[in-house]
Amino acid sequence: MKGIVFNLLEEVVVQHHGEDVWDSLLDAAGLNGNYTSLGGYPDEDMGKLVAVAATALNISAIDVQRWFGRQAMPLLVARYPTFFAPHQTTRTFVVSVNNIIHPEVRKVYPGADVPTFDFALLDDGGLLMGYHSPRRLCALAEGFVEGAADHFHETAEAEHLECMHRGDPKCLVKIAFRQAA
Amino acid sequence: MDHPESPPHNDPSAEASGAEMQRLRRRLERERASRLEAEAIAERGLRDLYEKQRQLELLEAVAVAANQAASIRDVLQFAVTRFCTFTGWPMGHAYVVKNAKEGRHLQSAAIWHNALNASTEDFRRETEEMKFVPGIGLPGRVLQDGGPAWIINVADDANFIRQTAAKTAGIASAFAFPIMAGDEVVAVVEFYSLVRSQPDETLLWLMAQIGTQLGRVVERERAKDQLVHDASHDVLTGLPNRSLFLDRLTRAIAQKRRHPEINFAVLFIDLDRFKVVNDSLGHLAGDLLIAEVAARFMASLRQTDVVSRPNATPPAASEGALPEGSDTLARLGGDEFTILLDDLHSLSDAVRVAERVLATLAKPFLLQGQDVYVGASIGIASSVTPYVSADEVMRDADLAMYRAKALGKGRYEVFDQTMHTMAVKRLALESDLRRALQNNEFVLHYQPIVTLRDEAITGVEALVRWQRPNHGLVYPGDFIDVAEDTGIILFLGMWVLREACRTMHRWHQEFPRERPLTISVNISARQFAQPDLVTQIRQIIEETGIQPSSLRLELTESVTMANAERAIKILESLRDLGIRISIDDFGTGYSSLSYLHRLPLDVLKIDRSFVTQMDDANEGLQIVNTIMHLAQNLDMEVIAEGVETEAHVKKLRSLGCANGQGYFFSRPVPAGEIHKLLRDQRR
Repeated sequence: MKGIVFNLLEEVVVQHHGEDVWDSLLDAAGLNGNYTSLGGYPDEDMGKLVAVAATALNISAIDVQRWFGRQAMPLLVARYPTFFAPHQTTRTFVVSVNNIIHPEVRKVYPGADVPTFDFALLDDGGLLMGYHSPRRLCALAEGFVEGAADHFHETAEAEHLECMHRGDPKCLVKIAFRQAA
Repeated sequence: MDHPESPPHNDPSAEASGAEMQRLRRRLERERASRLEAEAIAERGLRDLYEKQRQLELLEAVAVAANQAASIRDVLQFAVTRFCTFTGWPMGHAYVVKNAKEGRHLQSAAIWHNALNASTEDFRRETEEMKFVPGIGLPGRVLQDGGPAWIINVADDANFIRQTAAKTAGIASAFAFPIMAGDEVVAVVEFYSLVRSQPDETLLWLMAQIGTQLGRVVERERAKDQLVHDASHDVLTGLPNRSLFLDRLTRAIAQKRRHPEINFAVLFIDLDRFKVVNDSLGHLAGDLLIAEVAARFMASLRQTDVVSRPNATPPAASEGALPEGSDTLARLGGDEFTILLDDLHSLSDAVRVAERVLATLAKPFLLQGQDVYVGASIGIASSVTPYVSADEVMRDADLAMYRAKALGKGRYEVFDQTMHTMAVKRLALESDLRRALQNNEFVLHYQPIVTLRDEAITGVEALVRWQRPNHGLVYPGDFIDVAEDTGIILFLGMWVLREACRTMHRWHQEFPRERPLTISVNISARQFAQPDLVTQIRQIIEETGIQPSSLRLELTESVTMANAERAIKILESLRDLGIRISIDDFGTGYSSLSYLHRLPLDVLKIDRSFVTQMDDANEGLQIVNTIMHLAQNLDMEVIAEGVETEAHVKKLRSLGCANGQGYFFSRPVPAGEIHKLLRDQRR
């Protein structure tokens, strides 16, 4: 996993809980925390950090992922504004991930192992999102979508029709968007 | 940040450690900022590197494609697909340049990448149906400018003429670039995006590179086509060569077998007097003449094409060749041309074409500032004879052509079987003729030339005879043409001159007279075209000891007409040697009086036909009278040929003609008889 993901996690944790909490998470996970955006690090590191965070925050690992994804989005907006600029809605932005965002990610981070999503636009304005990855980070993806919705002043309500965590071969998430109140 | 525990203010050590904390925190912040900046720099570098690598990969793929692609279509499909992949633009399409009568335009090659879905259907159809002339529409702009063009929003571009269909397809931006063969646009590829995109400098640069690279395929294809064309065409005239002609003839024979109602004919054309032009004016002039002749033949064939085939569509204005499936004009080499008429109604169509071809040579050719006349002899062979091979057709057409030449040139002959027999005879004649020189089978006869006043002999004309084994005495009319064609004339002519000079010199010694007898010798066209003619003649004069003023070289008008400037120069050189020049068979050629006036001539010989005509009509008398006046004005001596009767002598005398030659005085006789005559006179 690319260091940029660890950097984002660090920033989100520090922003919401302070540097000490990040330090203690690293200690608890037994990691030194030397992550640079360009480096590549074991996927297990992320797993350990999510696990210790779940314990420390007393929430499930799934919820940690979703929280992380959602809170990371403002940082991504600040860092990569051009990905957001052409879009008015969450849905068109999300759909651009395969063809625009991930190709760009690959340019900057050679060897980045980004997932490919299957998208189907629903007539009611919703989105059907297929996800398949041995990392099984469907909740992180869900969090990213929620964070994107925050940016576009919308809400995103995700429903896992199928989930790898429930033994399905892939995740199938139905997402409904609404104008934020 | 949330710092729950603040140090107490009254503790100096705590204060110190608090300041220390601040410093460390600032250092940490600095370090963090430095790291982020380093990462950002590295990320930008990696991104650039990535882009460069992809560009390199693309250019590499393009180079491979340019080397391997077999056709322009392969290249276009590659360009469209690969560029879509590279740019992420969803749809691409290729046009090819068409050179039509009404001008250059672009037409869809129907090569697409990912024409998306039903919404693009109209756009696709409209694009494929359109013709883009230079400047019109996005591809037309590229065709005109020879460089890439980019439209950020097609809806804003009035020159983007497929507006409605593009809107349905959801097309926002478009760009296009040309495939270039040298400076020439040969194809245009066009790409469409559903989102508005700004012009990308790198992309524009890449397009120019790729357009040139891929154009190499077209250049290569053209070079290959040129090679194939060159192998089957004559370089000088651009006409099909022998091998292509035989190929088409073979097809015509096969067609005749399948469709017996479709007839074909081959016209075998050989230029008359071309060798003379080539020898005297040089090869460059000869080449020019051939090219010009080819152009005239081609033009005449286009006319007859419509004449001989009422239902045929007029041929397209393509250069160099007739439209496919039509008549073929080919150059076999040298001065030989052939025409294949492969869709004839009747043999009379072929004859009509032959007449038209001959008519094209009526006007002179302007070579090196001079008018030059050439004629042609044409042999025709047609599918009336059931041919099975092209060689047979060619052989028979060739034989018919020889027959046309033998019958006086400037005409056509249709092949018939008797020509085979004649061809065999001619071959025998040719080989016998080659031996004749070595075997001393030639002999000279002499015909006296007399003054009409007293019938006293003033000179003789040397005339060659051939004592052909088993054939008896053969006259020049039966072998001179073959001697001309084969070049034997060059040796024979010089032998005649030498022999005549030697004999006359002997007579001069033996029978000295106040005015030495003259000796007239004919010089043929090919002899006259020899570059070292003057040198050869000078050598013969020196060798034989003949008095040059007694030598008269006889030339026909046509001999000098091939190249007047040269003729004048040579005749002047000969005169400088002291030799006299006679114009032979006067009145039968076509030389104009102004032309004749420029030639340094001493003697004019009135052709026998005019002398004969004096018998039956006043007209003949008038002609001779006119010639006499002309000769007097030009200060030339006149000799009437073919004087056969007492009446001729009287009439000629009355017209003031001083000299005559003919059976009335003496037929050409062996040297011995002249010798006897001279001896008798002395007594």
